[in-house]
Amino acid sequence: MVTGKITVINRTGIHLRLANKIVNAASQFEAAVMLEKDGLEVNAKSMLGVAMLGAEQGAELTLNIEGSDEREALDTLIGLFETNFGSEVI
Amino acid sequence: MDLEKIEKPEMIFDGIAAAPGIAFGEAFVINVEDLSVDDERIGAGQVADEVSRFESALVATEKELKDLAHVLEEEMGKEHTKILDSHILMLSDEVMRKETVDMISAEQVSAPCAFHRVIEKTLSVFDQIEDQYLKERSEDVRDVRRRVIRNLLGQKINGLINLRKEAIVVGKNLTPSDTMGFKRKYVKAFVSDLGGSTSHAAIVARSHGIPAVVGVDGFSAHAKPYDKLIVDGTAGQVVLNPSPDTVKLYKVALSRLKLLETELLTLKNYPAVTLDGRKIELSGNIEMVDELDDVISHGAKGIGLFRTEYFFMGRGTLPGEEEQYKFYCNVVSRIAPDPVIVRTLDIGGDKFANWFDDRPEENPFMGWRGIRFTLSRKDIFRTQLRAIYRAAAHGQVRIMFPMVSVVDEVRAALAICDEVKEDLHRERYQYGKDVEVGIMIETPSAVALADHLAKEVDFFSIGSNDLVQYTLAVDRGNSRIAYLYDELHPSIIRMINDTVQAAHKNNIWAGLCGEMTASVGVHGTLLLIGAGLDELSAPAFLIPEVKKIIRSVTYDETKTLFKKALKKATSAEIRILIDKFLRDKRPDLQEFAIKSRNQ
Repeated sequence: MVTGKITVINRTGIHLRLANKIVNAASQFEAAVMLEKDGLEVNAKSMLGVAMLGAEQGAELTLNIEGSDEREALDTLIGLFETNFGSEVI
Repeated sequence: MDLEKIEKPEMIFDGIAAAPGIAFGEAFVINVEDLSVDDERIGAGQVADEVSRFESALVATEKELKDLAHVLEEEMGKEHTKILDSHILMLSDEVMRKETVDMISAEQVSAPCAFHRVIEKTLSVFDQIEDQYLKERSEDVRDVRRRVIRNLLGQKINGLINLRKEAIVVGKNLTPSDTMGFKRKYVKAFVSDLGGSTSHAAIVARSHGIPAVVGVDGFSAHAKPYDKLIVDGTAGQVVLNPSPDTVKLYKVALSRLKLLETELLTLKNYPAVTLDGRKIELSGNIEMVDELDDVISHGAKGIGLFRTEYFFMGRGTLPGEEEQYKFYCNVVSRIAPDPVIVRTLDIGGDKFANWFDDRPEENPFMGWRGIRFTLSRKDIFRTQLRAIYRAAAHGQVRIMFPMVSVVDEVRAALAICDEVKEDLHRERYQYGKDVEVGIMIETPSAVALADHLAKEVDFFSIGSNDLVQYTLAVDRGNSRIAYLYDELHPSIIRMINDTVQAAHKNNIWAGLCGEMTASVGVHGTLLLIGAGLDELSAPAFLIPEVKKIIRSVTYDETKTLFKKALKKATSAEIRILIDKFLRDKRPDLQEFAIKSRNQ
């Protein structure tokens, strides 16, 4: 299992459309991808799961990933947050 | 005991005045409760059937949402369909699907029961979210659940399409799926628990001339079907089970309002000119294309503020030049030959787009917004200016930059305008060659520099909302100090005076496009006329009222009034001054003064 820490920088937090981007990214991998915030752990391949984290701007999340392609999954998801969801701006 | 004799107590609720007018009627309550789903056991042999029932309900729901998005896009424009897109995405949640299917087989319960439970679990987590915006997304989850369960049960949508007699429509949050297909003749008013003046129900109500009050906290839980209601969309109040005395009071108010309205609407085709012949350009504010009809039908000449940021908001990608061009063209050609003032992107502050990922700002209202943003993102700025200049070939367009505080900004922006025009010329595009370029005056710095700024541009437009906020150092959203937010403050009156004087000395014109005409009613409008403003831009529903005020006074007397106001030390003194003017000189206008909300 690999883990990583990420911070939400998007101003409105993780809303439905961003949740969808996370799900799409996580779903490419075989590994189980879990997102954790303040003790609540959800499946990052579920849009409802990700949305119900209520991750506001500044929230710190932990990624727990386990499976054959866990390394790659971790890099992809951390990259997604670091580039603030691959936005066209900035 | 005779239950019939017990009268329900009268209750008064305050909300946001979303569309003006008064309505009496019975409540038609929609969407308050989730559909109740019983625990329904199934036999082991039925599992496969229930699973396929669930799968086909998801397919049916997806089709329903796509159809709805299509109708809505045609009726109101693409900006209204975004919420439905996210609902469609929710349906494809694999985890939700799998959990439901697993529950059907493991617990041997029916599809509606399993799906209901799975979503219930999600909702209980949503309840603990602290961030208000993210928490409210649970309403979207509920909406999707209702839809899927209706399809599972083979029920039709309980929307307004089923309304067959006159009623006041009450709901928690009147969504497009609720209001779609409603008959204007049956809907007397809208009341919703949630929402603001730009929410879906508010826009629909205004464009159909239906009174509406939104943001009435907890109202739908109080109102039962067929309860008697009075909706005052002008004052933003709802009366539940009104007493006979209250009914009488509102009947009088309604007949007065009707008289006023008839009188006001007869002004539609008359010019906005004072008794002594001063002509004022009276135009409307819009953010979306569907507000255009409303503005025209209320007798505006042109658009004084076309906010473009809403077109950029809540979408995944930036709109390209062609898409923007079509969007602007639509407005410009429909308003032609009257002018449209297009304000360039005012992202930042309280508005931001989802694609606009920025680092957190401690104080966004004093941050990277307006012209500061567009000058540092010249690619976005150029694309927008190209689209606007091209649209200008189809009518009369003026360009306006928001949030100016430094002269250099204006020079830099004008240089880009020149480059854009040269490029368009070289590329053989049709574009507007005589487009006036102006700026918003909304920072104290811009007022102080008004004489310099006036030498750079073709016009000023005072943005009173922000100017008040920045000048008085008051955040309107902060309830502890919101009382300090006052458009009739002497410092604001002086700033308006300085701005107009600087403009006229340099032979350019000055207008105002804030909400000053709305929130301080006749008092504000009288001062704005007296200040010598050449143009006023107001929300559609206020245009007849402002026109009536302009047509009822002489420029000369308002000028005298304004000069006296300039000498006052407090806004209370200014109000007393105007009250006296109304009483002595224009008693016929006192009717409007009653509506002035700041009193």
